[in-house]
Amino acid sequence: MPEPIVIENLTKYYNKFLAVDNLNLSVTANSNVGLLGPNGAGKSTTLKILCGLIRASSGTVYVDGTSVAKNPVQALSRIGAIIETPEFYSYLTPEETLGYLGKLRGMRGNGLKDRIKEVIKRVRLEEWSTVRIEKFSRGMKQRLALAQALLHDPPVLVLDEPALGLDPRGVVEFRELLEEVGREKTVFFASHQLVEVSQICDEVAIIDRGHLLAYDKIAQLEEKYQSLESAYLQLTGEVH
Amino acid sequence: MSEFDKLRVVIGYEFLKHIRRRRLYIILGLTVLVEAAVLIAVPLLMEEGYPDNVMVMAAMLSIGPSLATIGAIFFAGDAIAGEFEGKTGFILFTNPVRRITLVIGKYIAGLAAVAMLIVLGYVIVSISLLVIYGTVPVETAKSFGLCLLYGGAVLSVTFFFSSISKGSMGATVITLVFIMVVSAILDSILIMADKPHWFLLSTNGDSIATVYGGYELFMGGFSMEGMGIPSQWLQDPEIHLMVISMVIYLVAGFALSIWISGKRQLA
Repeated sequence: MPEPIVIENLTKYYNKFLAVDNLNLSVTANSNVGLLGPNGAGKSTTLKILCGLIRASSGTVYVDGTSVAKNPVQALSRIGAIIETPEFYSYLTPEETLGYLGKLRGMRGNGLKDRIKEVIKRVRLEEWSTVRIEKFSRGMKQRLALAQALLHDPPVLVLDEPALGLDPRGVVEFRELLEEVGREKTVFFASHQLVEVSQICDEVAIIDRGHLLAYDKIAQLEEKYQSLESAYLQLTGEVH
Repeated sequence: MSEFDKLRVVIGYEFLKHIRRRRLYIILGLTVLVEAAVLIAVPLLMEEGYPDNVMVMAAMLSIGPSLATIGAIFFAGDAIAGEFEGKTGFILFTNPVRRITLVIGKYIAGLAAVAMLIVLGYVIVSISLLVIYGTVPVETAKSFGLCLLYGGAVLSVTFFFSSISKGSMGATVITLVFIMVVSAILDSILIMADKPHWFLLSTNGDSIATVYGGYELFMGGFSMEGMGIPSQWLQDPEIHLMVISMVIYLVAGFALSIWISGKRQLA
């Protein structure tokens, strides 16, 4: 069985700016991997290539053995994603939005209806499920983003700063939810929040200027550098 | 699940978008208002009431459905650009559906919304002519067909500008300027120079009214013959060439928008 996420020699240029530089990374099944790095390190670019939103300049990204560039439809059917701070169609309600996205993924009938109720309950949006999204706060949209990522019960979750915009209670609930789903799914998760990453993930990949600096279990990095924070700061050159 | 099934889903939700947005009802209101204005103003401005020739009145009433086709610009301006500008693409494009399916679905839904307005316009035209003249000329069906084709061409051109624009507003404004200003100015220049102008989109829009009998009949209805209007303004319209032109705008604009959308990245 292929590894859920394989990144091979990935390079991405934005005109002359090198965002990702020959990145190699494999994420094993059911592991929760945090992708850490300072602003502009290439985290979001890597996740966007993984989700077929942008094309790599060179290199290949595979999801469950399928090349995202060559067969994006099959690759994306295995992924649930939250990229940046997504927006939703303001004229739809959460139920309608999830209905639309669920149908695009081949879900139908009562199975879809039941699943929509389930994920809406999971992200605590029951009271807002039939209210148009135009009235939603950023935090509520972020919860809905998680609901759509979980809707089709994908084996792989790709999350880019998923707790951004949530209030402190929302962050805690979000973390608990991710810990729960992370037990049965592969989670590849970009964040600036070291605490969040250390609570959800068992491994981290640290990148800077598109280079992979370290990819190891958190326990190993803590042993080597005293703490995850020290590892991050030393590897990204933020302590002197 | 086949791409055709996904296409049906996209069409359904995109059409729902048009139904729920205020702009559809604004254009609908404007169409009804313009038809009412023509029906009230014509007998007031012409001393002898409605024109004797039903074709003249039919041509004048076609302004309502023609206005409805402009609705296409407002429906389609944000169709592609909006997904990038509004970041809804981060949700939509991470689903296992091909971009071509999304663009075709959006196009068909937009065309259905425009067609709905055009049908309403022609219902008003037909009822008005029946009440005033007791007949509806067969040319009304031709005008209806040309109006649908023109709506499709305008929609395609708007989709093209939406696929290359950063924002929805930009796409809408560029399309309006292209049709109402650039194409219209070129139209006037070419008419004055007595050169062919059937390939211009603004000229193509005239076919909706001129199919009833040409510019001369239209001017005659207002008793404007012999008022020193240059002869080149009154030349019979080349409807068949205009149809070819509209088909080219429709196919080329749509094909280009599909191709560009497929290449576009959401960084």
